[in-house]
Amino acid sequence: MSNLSQLAWLVPIFPLIGFLINGLGRNYLSKTLVGIIGSGALLLSFITSVLIFNKVSAGELLIGEAGVYFDFIKFGSFNIPFAFQIDQLTSIFLLVITGVGFLIHVYSTSYMHEETKAHFARYFAYLNLFVFSMLLLVMGANYVIMFIGWEGVGLCSYLLIGYWFKNNDYTNAAKKAFVMNRIGDLGFLIAIFYLIQHFGTTTYIDIFSQAKTEGSSSLITIITLCLFVGAMGKSAQLPLYTWLPDAMAGPTPVSALIHAATMVTAGIYMIARSNVLYALAPSTMSLVAIVGLLTAVFAASIALKQNDIKKVLAYSTVSQLGYMFLGLGVGAFTGAVFHVMTHAFFKALLFLGAGSVIHAMHHQQDMRHYGGLKKYMPVTNITMLIGCLAIAGIPPFSGFFSKDEILIAAYAANPIYYVIGLFGALMTAFYMFRMYTMTFLGGFRGDHHHLPHESPKPMTFALVVLAILAAVAGFIGLPELFTHNPEGHKLANYLAPVFKDGEALLAKHAHPDHTTEWILLAVSVGLIVAVILWAVKTYKVYKLENDAEPQGFSKILANKWYVDEIYDAVIIKPILAIGDFFGKVIETKGIDKAVNGVGKAINFGSRKFRYLQSGNVGNYILIMIVAIIILVRILFYLPMS
Amino acid sequence: MNLIIISALSGVVMMFSGLFVKNNRTISYIATALIIFLSLATMCELGAKSWFNIPQAEAMLRTSVYGKLIGVILTIATTFYFVLSGKDIERVGKHVADYYALMFFVLAGAGILLSFQNLLMLFLGVEILTIPLFILTGAQKQNLKSNEASLKYFLMGAFSTGIMLMGIVLIYGAMGSFDLSVIGKKAQFATPIHGANLMGLLLLLASMAFKVSAAPFHFWTPDVYDGAPTVFTSFMATIVKVAAVVAFIRLFEGSMEPFHTSKWQILVSILIACTLLVGNITAVFQQSVKRMLAYSSISQAGYMLFAVFAFNAFGKEGITIYGLSYSLATIGIFSVLSKMQDITFDGFNGLARQYPGIAFALTVFVLSLAGIPLTGGFLGKFYMISAGAASNSSYTWLFILAILCAAVSVYYYFRIIQAMYFKERVSDTPVFEVPVSKAFPILLIVVAALIILIGINPQILLQYLYF
Repeated sequence: MSNLSQLAWLVPIFPLIGFLINGLGRNYLSKTLVGIIGSGALLLSFITSVLIFNKVSAGELLIGEAGVYFDFIKFGSFNIPFAFQIDQLTSIFLLVITGVGFLIHVYSTSYMHEETKAHFARYFAYLNLFVFSMLLLVMGANYVIMFIGWEGVGLCSYLLIGYWFKNNDYTNAAKKAFVMNRIGDLGFLIAIFYLIQHFGTTTYIDIFSQAKTEGSSSLITIITLCLFVGAMGKSAQLPLYTWLPDAMAGPTPVSALIHAATMVTAGIYMIARSNVLYALAPSTMSLVAIVGLLTAVFAASIALKQNDIKKVLAYSTVSQLGYMFLGLGVGAFTGAVFHVMTHAFFKALLFLGAGSVIHAMHHQQDMRHYGGLKKYMPVTNITMLIGCLAIAGIPPFSGFFSKDEILIAAYAANPIYYVIGLFGALMTAFYMFRMYTMTFLGGFRGDHHHLPHESPKPMTFALVVLAILAAVAGFIGLPELFTHNPEGHKLANYLAPVFKDGEALLAKHAHPDHTTEWILLAVSVGLIVAVILWAVKTYKVYKLENDAEPQGFSKILANKWYVDEIYDAVIIKPILAIGDFFGKVIETKGIDKAVNGVGKAINFGSRKFRYLQSGNVGNYILIMIVAIIILVRILFYLPMS
Repeated sequence: MNLIIISALSGVVMMFSGLFVKNNRTISYIATALIIFLSLATMCELGAKSWFNIPQAEAMLRTSVYGKLIGVILTIATTFYFVLSGKDIERVGKHVADYYALMFFVLAGAGILLSFQNLLMLFLGVEILTIPLFILTGAQKQNLKSNEASLKYFLMGAFSTGIMLMGIVLIYGAMGSFDLSVIGKKAQFATPIHGANLMGLLLLLASMAFKVSAAPFHFWTPDVYDGAPTVFTSFMATIVKVAAVVAFIRLFEGSMEPFHTSKWQILVSILIACTLLVGNITAVFQQSVKRMLAYSSISQAGYMLFAVFAFNAFGKEGITIYGLSYSLATIGIFSVLSKMQDITFDGFNGLARQYPGIAFALTVFVLSLAGIPLTGGFLGKFYMISAGAASNSSYTWLFILAILCAAVSVYYYFRIIQAMYFKERVSDTPVFEVPVSKAFPILLIVVAALIILIGINPQILLQYLYF
């Protein structure tokens, strides 16, 4: 047990304890106490994560045997230990999860304050349980531990989306998220079974070193595809993304934590972690890139016409996740992780800002009834503006650097990727500033008797911290272009040991030369600024009365490309019809009869066996004698087999 | 040796305390103190040497790490049993100290069964283990059912003792020794095996099957378990049963190994199949939870017998996990049951609303008994079946049967959960005969947590097997 392994288990244990205290004591603890326990647990985790980060930066890692705490599943020579692996990638995720998680907990103490005591505690218990599972997911040293965390976050996501369980729509949204994720999880599970069958282990380092020596094979392609199916479900990619917008039924801080900053990036973490396997499966890599790219553009186009502020952000999240997958697919693992990080900051900020607005507007989520909030909510206004600039990719805010890194890598892989990606980025800038303008600029369109007011301190505190992070986080990943120093990209240097194997296996794309890169940067920034101005100009004069029913193409966008309807017609209805057939014909005529038959036989046997138990000692002894005689007969007179 | 000597002494102390101490609560406290001391003593023995060094006894009793570990498990389970059910023991009758004394004597018998090296010691151990149980079964002197059960148990117990003695005599006749190691050595050179020897072995098998209540030698079990006072049923179904299974393994492993022909597994597989079928199928139709648990304890013995089927390290590991998690879960359920007014399934209706802590712990116990993952019961079943598969994979039908039977068991176990959580309480009568203390649910949850801990990290237990 090394020093680091003694530290590592503390990180997830704090939220677990928080979950137990808040969950069990929900009827007894006061709201203040619940808030302190919930946030305090995260603060402690965060401090521990910082210590771990320091150790990892100093070169101390927790890999292999050292990270084993106990044997979890063991039979014969096969062993799945309960082990953690702490390396550079994990430590970054730890900081993001616990850091952003802490801010969101603090924010929640005031956002959820209207709930009754028991429900308030239930909320924090779920949230802590979520963080615990998420930490397991990123800390596990093998795919099984990751899977446990994976399922845990799925469960918590379900519980929190359906947090207001009295509303039927919300519980339906929770169910949808659960079922969609289940499809992905099946892929993940199959991948694990393949890994066990082929490699005889689930531990990352063992699998990767074996895979490296064996080279690529069709089996690895299958495994990576199955893993990617899991990632598509969890990280809401085409075609499994539709649950994420519906997941906005949950409380807004939940959307910020689970459905923007952490859980949905689990798929990116998984692929980044398995970079060696993916590098051995080039065809999967291309698929990842294409799915990511399509999702990015597709979701961005839907976001253009949404009027619900949370829906805009939800589609924007789907779209940004698409960029991350694009990054992974073209081999820019660092870029993808970088974007996970910056996205965690600015998207959590945007969600929390939206929450602040919703809080102030008495749970009105329709942007058409906002407007002019700049005057009433100065802090929210400034922080949201920073978030919007960051996500749109305006230098020097963080989103610029991370998105640019992905786009440049995409350009190196295939210029068409770049063009489509840039188109998506322009749409991003447009819908974000459409949202910003409709909310904060222009005149107030809401109810003039209930003027909004700035949110309480814990909420603005979280907003300000996140805004600072969203503004400056980009500087840890300055491109070589600016620094003229290959060592200048701090994050890339830090993560290099994790990705060096994967990157060594990949065919290197020629990095575009500096002139091209400057041109690409200038073009993208120029276009984005133009689009922003256009959006602000268009929506500044927005009037509720002028709002016409969307026509033509924008109607398609407003209806989200009718994807839900298409799924309904193509998948759900036929499945229901088949289900109906099975239910009415095969089930009742065949299976039911068989099952009930077995049940009846057991029941019948049960009743008959009871009669053997007559209570008569003589009978019992007789049966025993007969049994001994039968055994003797078998022992002495049956031929040897 | 600690277990045998200290538990026998504790039994004597308890008998005297019955003379001098009039307060029943005090007697329970004394018994609890003694059992805690006994558990610590067994744990000390596991780590270091025994406190009693009797070289002359080597030919009779020989301790092994495995036996010591099971001794620890038995005493820990008994500790929980005393703590959870102490008040119910006091309510059985007037002679509280005697009940405790008898249970300590049972533990002494179990201690002998965990370490016998001689067939005479086996016989002594079995008798010391069962004779106190006859008395405990009939402890409610005014209750006819209790008397009937006691008498039946005694009659059939005597019968099975006769079979066992017959078996021992036949083996002695063929081998000229009671010593297991001598018998084993001689048997290695005696091919083909003497017929009397085989016959003796078969009779021993039958009598041990009786003790662990394997079908078709199980008939005493439902009647006795049902008739005995509920608290003592709990003791018999858990601690006594685990001790008997381990004695069963000890008897037939190692020195008796030369006897194991391929027919051995046929015989045991028949016993297992009968036990699983009878236990599970009959449990389905029971209305009384007590009787259901009696039958389910038969089927649980069927799983434990896989260790006798396999005789490998897996089986031993499995019995360790199975023994502890099964004992804890059953003791937990019985400790609730023995406080209840109505011991049918309906008695559990709406329990969750009034006593959420108790209902939660019961749920964990039931899940463990049914073998649902994350509980010790799951790992126990998993180890047992994989032990069987590791020793002889051609018995696929048996393993499938075992798994299907586990599925059947879910039906009757989950009726408790269903009653607790999904049914409303109709009558106004209180759930419990006597008010439960505040500490009771907490203790139950501790036991439940222990079961889950075993289910997640069995190594905390198994590591002691391989010092």
